[in-house]
Amino acid sequence: MMEALTRILIVDDERSIRRFLSVSLGNQYAVVEAANGEEALQAAVTEHPDLVILDLGLPDMDGAEVTRRLREWTKIPIIIVSVREREEDKIAALDAGADDYLTKPFGIGELMARIRVALRRSDQVENNPIFELEGLTIDMARRIVSIRNEAITLTPTEYEILRILAQYSGRVMTHHQLLRQVWGESYENELHLLRVNISNLRRKIELDASRPQYILTEPGVGYRLKSL
Amino acid sequence: MVYNIYMPLDRPVPLSAKPSNLEQFKIASRKKNWLLSNGLSRYAGSIALVISATMISELFGHEISPANLVMVYLLAVVLAAVYLGRGPSVLASISGVLAFDYFFVSPRFSFSVADTEYLLTFSGLLIVGWVISYLTIRAREQADAAQRRETDTAMLYALSRDLAAADGLDDVLSVIRRHTEQSFAHEATIFVANEKTQELEATPNDPQTTSQLHSALESEAAASAFKTREPAGLGTNNVPTVEFLYLPLTTARKTVGVLGIKPEEPEDHFEPDQRRLLDAFASQSAQAIERMQLAEQARQVKLLKIAEKLQNALINSISHDLRTPLVSITGALTAIEHNEGLDEAAKRSLIETAREEADRLNQLVGNLLDMTRLESGALQVKRELCDPQDLVGAALGQIENRLVERPVSVNIDPGIPLVPMDFVLIAHVLSNLLDNALKYSPAKSPIEIQARLEKNELQISIIDHGIGIPAQDFNRVFDKFFRVQRPKQAPGTGLGLAISKGIIEAHGGKIWAGASTGGGAVITFSIPLEMPK
Repeated sequence: MMEALTRILIVDDERSIRRFLSVSLGNQYAVVEAANGEEALQAAVTEHPDLVILDLGLPDMDGAEVTRRLREWTKIPIIIVSVREREEDKIAALDAGADDYLTKPFGIGELMARIRVALRRSDQVENNPIFELEGLTIDMARRIVSIRNEAITLTPTEYEILRILAQYSGRVMTHHQLLRQVWGESYENELHLLRVNISNLRRKIELDASRPQYILTEPGVGYRLKSL
Repeated sequence: MVYNIYMPLDRPVPLSAKPSNLEQFKIASRKKNWLLSNGLSRYAGSIALVISATMISELFGHEISPANLVMVYLLAVVLAAVYLGRGPSVLASISGVLAFDYFFVSPRFSFSVADTEYLLTFSGLLIVGWVISYLTIRAREQADAAQRRETDTAMLYALSRDLAAADGLDDVLSVIRRHTEQSFAHEATIFVANEKTQELEATPNDPQTTSQLHSALESEAAASAFKTREPAGLGTNNVPTVEFLYLPLTTARKTVGVLGIKPEEPEDHFEPDQRRLLDAFASQSAQAIERMQLAEQARQVKLLKIAEKLQNALINSISHDLRTPLVSITGALTAIEHNEGLDEAAKRSLIETAREEADRLNQLVGNLLDMTRLESGALQVKRELCDPQDLVGAALGQIENRLVERPVSVNIDPGIPLVPMDFVLIAHVLSNLLDNALKYSPAKSPIEIQARLEKNELQISIIDHGIGIPAQDFNRVFDKFFRVQRPKQAPGTGLGLAISKGIIEAHGGKIWAGASTGGGAVITFSIPLEMPK
């Protein structure tokens, strides 16, 4: 028998955008639409979506608020699509618990790729100790990192950053999230610590640190480990 | 006659002109230049002259007849007239007559006169002495007056010359202040009336005016001089209990402000001839200030006209640039909608065009938003310590898909520290510059990024090997909507470099264009390493 289609909830107050998204996604996924925050929260309960595509500028409440309310009870992937390109908006949404952020206008190919990454992550079995990505291997059980089959030495901080990025690979980790998880709450604003460690880490794992292939910078927002 | 011309110290001073020479004409020493300054000592001096004459006469008196000794006394009277003034010279002639009578006319050592003919000699000595002293003093006074006039003329000339050379109102005010202080007073201040409110305002760069405006009496005196167009303050009948004399700065059209002068000593008042000079100063100053105000008005009007013209050009340009992509998109979509017979390749080509144009439109809207943010001051620079290598990587990442088959070499000097900047904005600048380099150089030609430390700044250059920028446009490429005229125009908004410039300048840095060896363009920008306060 055919497996049940993955269900995607599209939340946007613009009818034309909902239409373009449902048409484009409709032949691969089952699509549910919502035009405002209340409807979205309702549909999240009744329709059991596997993923939410969420606009920030909703008429009744902000998308970041919808994200927070959803995160109170579910871990389903949330991808924000918005015309807002200010880094503060991206950070607010990501810190509220969104998985990804896409600035409008975007190509449908880009959105499909992000959807695949988000769905794969939610399916992932958490207890696989080996992470592999294009020549980069992280053995989390033995705390060994090797690059192109050669073990490299990382400081504990560098290892921790890499481990967290790998755990959320493909997803943007904001500066605050990384600082909080690696150094602790009180280091949330010590951005230069992160910059220096990322710079050192890149020197060790990247072929060319000026054109990184693994650890990608999201300007003003954070870092992302390239997805599989 | 010495002709002293005041020379400002910051200009070359000819050897013959000493700037300090005018100092002696300041108030205290402007009274006549007698040998001895104190009145009493001048009279004592005249007595001393008569005593000397008596002693000389005593020395040679035995060989000469007494009538000829009168000459010696006459000499004493002349000397007193020349060097000591009118009173002492009169005293010298009277005491000379008495001494002559007492010591030399028989009977000696008494005032009585044996030969009555000597009475004629006495009156002769007295009258000749008076006439000589009168003439000498008049000649001297005329010489003094002439010298004073000459000095006044020199001071006025120096003032008007420096005023003519002054650039801007601030400069004019400081010239007036400096000259007034050098020529008259201990301190001089100027209040310029606000052209709109007609209220006196403190001069910037002059703390004195501010404190004076805060003193109720001083500001009342200044305001009164301004309102009545008559002098007020020290030495006048209008609010005399203040430290400054205030003169209205009046031109034919209006009163532009008030000149305040504080003499060295509070009890020093200004004499009529000084007041005349002061009035001349005030009148020249007023004209200079008015000239500057008129020039400023003219400049504002011109600026307004330029702004208006620019705004029109901007609206035309924007509406053109916004519509053009929409024309292509609408055209492509309607072609697909209505033409069932289109083959797959034609459809694909139409769709590709529409997509490219949509990207262009999106870029234009983004640029316009950036420009608006920059110009409205809404752009906030959030400086954080950033790694230049990370920056270059992020900028390259933003245009990754356009870098296919483009050799990009990155040279970052080792030892570059974290630099305080707004990562997002500078990455934006870098990707703007890279975008330009891609647009204006042939496919597959290499692009180079260099980062280095230069004194106290980080410098980043983007070097391409394309058609380059004509040298005369090196500065203009950063102007809004400026585009180098080329036969085959690459698509663009003419905003990218202007935005980059705005962002770099908001960081306290600079951006400039040049030519690379082999004819491409080099754009370099700098960011100071020290966080500006």
